[in-house]
Amino acid sequence: MNSPDPNIHNTPGALKALQDDIYRDKILRARHMTSVERLEQVFSQSAIQFGMMLSGAMYRLNTTDTALGWQEVRRWLTRLDRVHDHGNYTIEKPTES
Amino acid sequence: MTLEEIAIKVIEATEMAGMSYMTVGAIAAGTHGIPRSTSDVDLLIDIKSGKGINTIVQNLEPYVRFSPQVVFDTFTWGRRHIGKSKFEPPYGVELFETFDDPFVHSEFSRRYHQFVPLLGRKTWLPTAEDVIVQKLRWGRSKDLDDARDVLAVQGPETLDMVYINHWCTEHGTIGRLQAALDSIPPL
Repeated sequence: MNSPDPNIHNTPGALKALQDDIYRDKILRARHMTSVERLEQVFSQSAIQFGMMLSGAMYRLNTTDTALGWQEVRRWLTRLDRVHDHGNYTIEKPTES
Repeated sequence: MTLEEIAIKVIEATEMAGMSYMTVGAIAAGTHGIPRSTSDVDLLIDIKSGKGINTIVQNLEPYVRFSPQVVFDTFTWGRRHIGKSKFEPPYGVELFETFDDPFVHSEFSRRYHQFVPLLGRKTWLPTAEDVIVQKLRWGRSKDLDDARDVLAVQGPETLDMVYINHWCTEHGTIGRLQAALDSIPPL
């Protein structure tokens, strides 16, 4: 009998099952929270995320200067905004014919 | 400033301008679905109420730098005012204007007022059904994920699926709705 492939990426069915398990866990955790608790978690997760971004920016710049780190985070976010907004926004509304 | 401090300033500035609003974007999606981090506070503002969006922009001047250029989204041609916090972290503030659209009128009329302890105040929010319809209408990858998350967390059995189906039919997004439902694993 063959032993299962240790690399789950080689077994699409097993990978899908793992993805579903992870997603199911996220759904069930969210279901156990109230709507206000979920709303408030958006704020706490965002603070953590920005802290991680600052840390990553300072590491990439090899600096301990927090101001430089935030400057880099702003640059990243500007680039990200351009990618996300590309094709979705325009400065002029077409005139109706 | 923290995201909640910015959110409080934006809500206060809007209320001081006497304008009706509801909080949209990731904050609304996270309320009904799976919370995720965001870099923005997004509000949908009823432009027929109060003193006008420019008053909100002026009220926020000490905290937020708004772009002088108002942009239109290419799906619905709604107007959007984009600002960035003057403080770190560089959170964004986006003010979307209501416009003459049946769904926008509907979602705005169904909004509800929720007290949020972290903000120390009430804020207006869209219903779960309206978040789903709006996210499916926009259809960007993160919007589709948000719509699926709200469907999964709330469960179709608790949602007004007649309402959702109605608007998705109107918007031609029934295929997106079905794909979102199909992608939810058995619970």
